[in-house]
Amino acid sequence: MSKPLEVLLLDDEPIVGRRLKPALVKIGCRVEVFENPREAVARIGQKEFDIVVTDIRMEEMDGLQVFKHVQEKWPRTKVIMITGYAKIDLAREAMGKGVFDFIAKPFRPDDLRQIIANAAEALGAPIDFSSMGDELVEA
Amino acid sequence: MPIIIISSDAREIEETIAQKVAGGMGYNLMNRRILADIAAKHQIDQGRLNEIMGTTPSLFKKMSARQWRCNLACVEAEVLDRLLADNIVCQGLAAHLYVTGVSHVMNVRILSGNSRGIKNMVEQRGLSLHKAEKCRAAELQHRKKWSLAAYVCDETDLSRYDLVINLDQIDPAEAVKTITGAAEYRKFQVMTYSMKCIADLALAAKVNAKLLTSMPSVKVQARDGSVVVITKALNRQKRKKIATIKELAGEVDGVSYVEVHVKNNILGEAAQSL
Repeated sequence: MSKPLEVLLLDDEPIVGRRLKPALVKIGCRVEVFENPREAVARIGQKEFDIVVTDIRMEEMDGLQVFKHVQEKWPRTKVIMITGYAKIDLAREAMGKGVFDFIAKPFRPDDLRQIIANAAEALGAPIDFSSMGDELVEA
Repeated sequence: MPIIIISSDAREIEETIAQKVAGGMGYNLMNRRILADIAAKHQIDQGRLNEIMGTTPSLFKKMSARQWRCNLACVEAEVLDRLLADNIVCQGLAAHLYVTGVSHVMNVRILSGNSRGIKNMVEQRGLSLHKAEKCRAAELQHRKKWSLAAYVCDETDLSRYDLVINLDQIDPAEAVKTITGAAEYRKFQVMTYSMKCIADLALAAKVNAKLLTSMPSVKVQARDGSVVVITKALNRQKRKKIATIKELAGEVDGVSYVEVHVKNNILGEAAQSL
């Protein structure tokens, strides 16, 4: 069996982590969930994750700042942005800075699993992703 | 890869540059040739479809505002449906006015430039310089009027575009290179969010086209299969109109839920009370 994908999931809404973690564990990811961006950045300083999934709008530090930390420390890591305040300018800014993908809330865990599968493929570690019916993750 | 929408104040230049960009990038070119398919699909005269892309409704042309809007809605729905595939250069279909808010769509405006535009007119139409200047000013004014009537957007407002190239200053060959280069920017790459945005626009356009066949005006928004329709009706017709909209919109592929907001048609009520 191949090595599980290491995923850090950061969202200041506890429900997002609660909903998404099991969905990602189902496809073989090892997931660490954070609600505080500073704690997440500290953890990123210690460990190289394959994928970081982060909310954009958070108090103390926004998702683009988190992305900057990840990029400086672990350039190979793929960063996926999730937000309830998606707009064309923000999406382009994030993509222009090198974010792997950008998704607006609400979305289905299946949508995120598909992005994770794409990121895994880009990392050269494809995962077997099969669709499962599931509920929306709200902003 | 992105979708590139090219528009200009001069049709010939727009066509030439769009062909060269598509050819150079290996993209598909979508232009007015699709009007034949749309005409066949919706049983509309193809000549009329060509006409509506450049003229506003008029009694003299035996085209009502309602027919005009309905036909435009058919074009919009088909264009957006085809834009769900990427690697496309789109030109001549007014897409720059209704494909908005999608981050992987690069909206390019080519300004033919005063000197070049007028020179072309003198050469191609055999006009005097003075007549060519007047003619060009009238054409620009006409396009502005059309874009406002069709989509409540002023196509001459350059802040709408991602890239504006003035051919008085940049040669067409350089313009093609500039567009091709800009399309490589990461900002214009496809992402999950932008694909959802265009899918939502496409679904709203399909519902709009369907509803306009049986009612004069509606506003449609879509998100993930849920559709919101805003319309006006007389008080006593509200219930019937809601039911009709729900039925028609529900027949469109991809619609899972329909919500209808009906505003009171005050003018209609006033007219009936007279």
